[in-house]
Amino acid sequence: MIDISALLDEIKASPYRDIAITTPHCGLVRFLGGKVGDKLVGPQGQWKEKPGTAIATIERERNLKTISSPEKGDISVIHSELEDTFVEAGTTLAILRHMLTRQEVEQIILKRTLHLFCAPERAKYYFTPEVDKKIRSSDAKTVVVHDGMEFMIMSRMKREAPLRYSGPEGVIYAIYFTYNENVDAGSPLIGVCPADQVAAIQEMIMRVQTEWNE
Amino acid sequence: MDNNIAKRIQSLRDRLVYLKDIFAGKHRDNADLLEQRLDTFSEKASADALDDPYAELAGVEDLFAYVERRLENEITPMDRVRIVRHPQRICLKDILENVYDNFTEVGGQDEHSLDPSMLIARAVIIRRRGKKSYQQSVLVIGQEKGHGAEFRNGGSVKPWGNAKALQYMRVAETEGIPIHAYIFTPGSYPIEDYPGAAQQIARNIYGMADLRVPIVAVISEGGSGGAEAIGLADKRLMLSHGYYSVISPEGAAAIEGHVKGGNRATPELIEHCAQNLHITAQDNLRFGYIDRIVQEPPLGARPWHFDFFRNLRQEMLRATDEVVLSTRLFPMFRGFALSSRRNPEANLDEMHMRWGLSQGASNRLREKRQQKFLRFSRNAAIDRRPFLRKKAGAFWDWFCKPWISLKYDFYRKHQRKIESFMEEMGNEWETFKMRLLSPWRKLAGKPKKPEATTARELTALSAWSGEGRRRKWNYISPRYKIDRAVTCPNSASYGCLDLWGPDLFAEFAGVCSHCGYHFSMEPEWYVQNVFDQGSVFEFNGEIEAGNPLNFPNFDERIAEARKKSGAKSACMTFEASINDTKLIVAMLMGTFRGGSFGAAEGYKFVEAAARAAKKRYPFLAYVHGTAGIRIQEGTHGVIQMPRCTIAVRRYIDSGGLYMVLYDTNSFAGPVASFLGCSPYQFAVRSSNIGFAGPGVIKETTGMDIPPKYHRSYRALSRGHIQGIWDRRQIRNNLQQALVTIGGRNLYYR
Amino acid sequence: MREKGFGLNKTQDQKKKKLESAQPVVQEVPDISAHRVLVANRGEIAMRIMRACKKLGVGFTAIYTPEDEASGHVALARSLGEGKNIFRVSSYHDANELMSVADEAGCTAVHPGYGFFAEDFRFARRVKKRDRSMIFIGPSWKIIRELGDKINTKRLARSLGVPTVPGSDRPIYDEMEAEHIAKSVFEFQEGQGIERPLVLVKASAGGGGMGIEEVYDPDQFRSVYRRIRNYALRQFKDEGVLIEQRITDFNHLEVQIVSDRSGLNPVHFGTRNCSIQSTGLQKRIEVAPGFAPETLEYTFDANRVLTNIVEYSLTMAKKVGYDNVGTWEWIVTRKGEPFLMEVNTRIQVENGVSACIARVRGHEGVDLVAEQVRIGLGEPLGYTQAEIATEGVGLEYRLIAEDPDNNFTPWVGRIEHFSWKAEPWLNVLTQIPLDKPYEIPTEFDPNLALAIIWGKDIDEAKARGLSFLDSLQLDGVNGSGEPLKSNVGFLKSNTPRILKF
Repeated sequence: MIDISALLDEIKASPYRDIAITTPHCGLVRFLGGKVGDKLVGPQGQWKEKPGTAIATIERERNLKTISSPEKGDISVIHSELEDTFVEAGTTLAILRHMLTRQEVEQIILKRTLHLFCAPERAKYYFTPEVDKKIRSSDAKTVVVHDGMEFMIMSRMKREAPLRYSGPEGVIYAIYFTYNENVDAGSPLIGVCPADQVAAIQEMIMRVQTEWNE
Repeated sequence: MDNNIAKRIQSLRDRLVYLKDIFAGKHRDNADLLEQRLDTFSEKASADALDDPYAELAGVEDLFAYVERRLENEITPMDRVRIVRHPQRICLKDILENVYDNFTEVGGQDEHSLDPSMLIARAVIIRRRGKKSYQQSVLVIGQEKGHGAEFRNGGSVKPWGNAKALQYMRVAETEGIPIHAYIFTPGSYPIEDYPGAAQQIARNIYGMADLRVPIVAVISEGGSGGAEAIGLADKRLMLSHGYYSVISPEGAAAIEGHVKGGNRATPELIEHCAQNLHITAQDNLRFGYIDRIVQEPPLGARPWHFDFFRNLRQEMLRATDEVVLSTRLFPMFRGFALSSRRNPEANLDEMHMRWGLSQGASNRLREKRQQKFLRFSRNAAIDRRPFLRKKAGAFWDWFCKPWISLKYDFYRKHQRKIESFMEEMGNEWETFKMRLLSPWRKLAGKPKKPEATTARELTALSAWSGEGRRRKWNYISPRYKIDRAVTCPNSASYGCLDLWGPDLFAEFAGVCSHCGYHFSMEPEWYVQNVFDQGSVFEFNGEIEAGNPLNFPNFDERIAEARKKSGAKSACMTFEASINDTKLIVAMLMGTFRGGSFGAAEGYKFVEAAARAAKKRYPFLAYVHGTAGIRIQEGTHGVIQMPRCTIAVRRYIDSGGLYMVLYDTNSFAGPVASFLGCSPYQFAVRSSNIGFAGPGVIKETTGMDIPPKYHRSYRALSRGHIQGIWDRRQIRNNLQQALVTIGGRNLYYR
Repeated sequence: MREKGFGLNKTQDQKKKKLESAQPVVQEVPDISAHRVLVANRGEIAMRIMRACKKLGVGFTAIYTPEDEASGHVALARSLGEGKNIFRVSSYHDANELMSVADEAGCTAVHPGYGFFAEDFRFARRVKKRDRSMIFIGPSWKIIRELGDKINTKRLARSLGVPTVPGSDRPIYDEMEAEHIAKSVFEFQEGQGIERPLVLVKASAGGGGMGIEEVYDPDQFRSVYRRIRNYALRQFKDEGVLIEQRITDFNHLEVQIVSDRSGLNPVHFGTRNCSIQSTGLQKRIEVAPGFAPETLEYTFDANRVLTNIVEYSLTMAKKVGYDNVGTWEWIVTRKGEPFLMEVNTRIQVENGVSACIARVRGHEGVDLVAEQVRIGLGEPLGYTQAEIATEGVGLEYRLIAEDPDNNFTPWVGRIEHFSWKAEPWLNVLTQIPLDKPYEIPTEFDPNLALAIIWGKDIDEAKARGLSFLDSLQLDGVNGSGEPLKSNVGFLKSNTPRILKF
């Protein structure tokens, strides 16, 4: 078991994450008047249906799009020199200093405590249909994985291969990949918690809930 | 101070609060005067400093009555809205207790009800003829506001509440008792859960159009769709201080003022709208949409106005008697009975008559009811059809009727017999021929196909004609000329790349090539790409949308819409064919004032349904888009809901196939009536169907609506529609529907 | 800014045009050096296009995605070009990215390479029809559309008497008719003496191997037909099916056609044989010419077959007014019957083998990519069929990181070392940098290199090919520490059977 207090203190010492806001594609950029220090919000509303604060517009082939803030935070860098220029895809327009939310802190701590099963190769990953069905119908925490169990499908270059779990037996406590997106080799896919530690982990999360003020 | 005085003081206080509330800050001086007199009196009374408190009190009461009478003349339309919504306003329970002699609530009790805002009761009235007394039963339905009780939801009925009403109307039909409907609703509760706000109102209207018992409706607060859900009656009475409107004045003001996102329209604008929507009893009597006004005491009826209830009872008896009498066959007797009941001095309690109807009488009742509504609002549309053509049309109808009924009623019935006879004759001839030729056949031997022919068949170019060969669109959106990229709304979830406008709006028919999202297309696209080329023939194009209420600045806006869309109303009616199957189409075009539906559109729709019935063609309502009833036409608009539904019902009952196809956005009145009542409703992908938009839902219910709440797929899951079609397949799907749903017993081919 | 700059250019252009039209000079040969080509592709073909542009003195602009940062085509663009001539884009598949980069860079033409937009008539149409029109280096979009439709191509061929696979040449909607055709196809094959006749049923609106099934028993046809028809109706909203003979024993040949924008005088650059393929029917070894009757024995008159398919291809090219490079794909049965399969309206991967044996007016060093750019930009071809000859045999190996023993599964990992012995008869095309390790991007097929080998005859070519494969050093390792897997062994073992039928 890790020292949760020390970990929390460590996170509290630098409770921020930098998020680069980049252009989704090429085009002509115009900023909407944001400056360093401005507070931005991420998507709002019960279903996150309202986009976050608009930062800039990008126009490509006479199609104007707004680039909005993905999270809450304030602008630490803004590349105003790009105003009114044609930029390439993936150009950084601004950097957002985002204070970690309670959920994010939980995730950080979980990543340090759980047994992480990592992607062997850069590929897209899926659960096998049986496991997927179980996760969808109830919760990932109902799925117990054990060493050698075939539980995932690795898909790359239009080909699929089964993937076996290796590590201690336990329940799937966290899922770190999204469907249809590439995962780099070595990035965690799932976090597994041995059954006897579930209570301890739950307790840890309770502590974060109470100690972390956004 | 004795108890009685305290009670009467309290009652005066209530009257004062009421007066202040309904005038919302106006006539301050009058209110102050009353308040001062009342305060002085009650101070003195509680100090027992009065010689004759009863005389003094009578003086105060007289003053109250005097002021109320005087202010009665100052009431504005918006004050009426506040009157009918005031918790002190009479409600249905008061009426049940005071107008009827006894009643039993059915389908729920107080808050323990499927929907406490819809109240249903079996009530009895005891009448006499001579010395003998008779008990008569009626079914009372109506919205219950319950003097502001929260669980009553202000009389805003949920879909299942309306369904319950329809269920009991059917019960009344079975039992053969009249229905008294009391309308106390600001509008229906706009949620989409099954049976669906719009779809259930449509079912109610459709059901009432053909109900076999007399229906009398009384309007206190008649808010659009909610009112129509129980308002299609043989006689429609209206309380003198009520309102009957297409939309609440606040709603109208929000639309007029283009109010968005949490803001509210100014009180001036709301007052202005209330004024111009012509929502009062007098207005509606003038238009002919109600039959009679029931006079209320000054400033509106409250539960202690017992004279009013007596009066209402007389009016209800009179109206019910009149409806029953109007179905009688003998004109002499009918005339006498009617005139005796119309005498204002008559006491109808002493004039019992039976309310049961014979088979023939109930048929006449329904026909009269339907004709009454069909006659409504014709003058609210501009009809530029030349006089001679109209007359010629009428003559032609008269002339053709025998031929058509011969063709369809006689020939079609006996067609099968004739055909099978012809077939048998043919078979006989074939057998005969075979026998005759067989000697030669044997001699010639069986011809065998040479191998070279097979090879040639398989390797040489074959003939190929017909539709399958590179079908091009007959019409493409003019937007294809604009060189620009377009983002698919689903791109975030499906990863669609931007589409090139010229591809999207021409070859792709406005469909995202990645996720299949349908961008909206022009009405012309459908007219030219769905139906056989050259088969479209428009009729009644000369009926034009106007401004029947002289709504301020609306003439210009209609003119602008005409210029922009090139149409003269939001409804185009035409004959067309699909693979030679002829049909009649009424198309609501979202391009003309949002496809809003007014008197002209209703006129054309009714005519189209009648034409389809006459010609025995299938009838398709293609809804390119409709935002609802055109509010600037007020009740001229809202009356189209029962009117067009009746037209549809008559068409379906005469054996027609009525289909509805929704596209883009279809909302409110039309969906809640003549569209939602169709048994076959389909939607084009990516369309939205519903009763009220997210803004209105937020405004009226305070609920946030999840994104895509009104999407066609949701409507399908909720059971509101029967299927979803790809735009590029509309022609094929329509054809298939005509073949499979249509067929021998429906008007088809 | 960009918009403004745009407008300015336009007005200047218009002025120029006015000036030109004032002078009654007819320019016969347009000056292509004023053009700038957008290289709308990646990897080795992007490199070949860039080199061709350099050779022709035509400017170019390249593109890349973040995954391709380390690709050789990015380095080559930077080393060949002056100023900013490569742009990072979000995807090679996004036409909007390509168009906006082309506008920003002032490109006047777009070369799609192969794959991606090469045979997309809509893309070609957009390039041409947009407000700021450009040249699509490839056939005109109408030709791409016409020949991209397999049914249409088959019907065009039949109308010209060009042999096609026996069967229907239009979608069949009627079950009775379908059964009749299937029966005929079975009978036809029996008549031909084929022991196990096969009929192919496929959805006419389908493609890419979807909705396609073989029938070996006439009694089974009806159920297969209904299954495919229902699948097609569900999947493509069109229940039309095609019914044709399934040919199993064949060689895959193709004819290289080249024609300038006049479309009047197409020439051919001979034939190729691409019969050595992976189990997924992906080409692995290509050879030019298509057969070697001087050295090898065939059961049919190979020379005549080659002459015939060349003639047939040219006939079709003339008929449609074909106006760029293209490839007519054929299957040739063991009896020597050719059937047209399809037309590829693009430059193909294996164009290099035809180029290396071609001699124009006796000169070596033919570059079909450069020819495509040149005639694509409007220059006349400048030589006739009579001035084109061939010499020797060309051979192309496709080096791919894959496991031929395991269903040709792609292998992903890092290339540590890649080298070979340089020879005058050898040309290796690769985007893999040779001076540093290279991660194979997972987004694309793991093609490593093309090796083009020339020999004076088939035996020399095979021998040289084997010596190249022997000299090859190719090492790498993947995330789990396993060594690189490649198809070198497969190529070696298949080299002896090249051109044998």
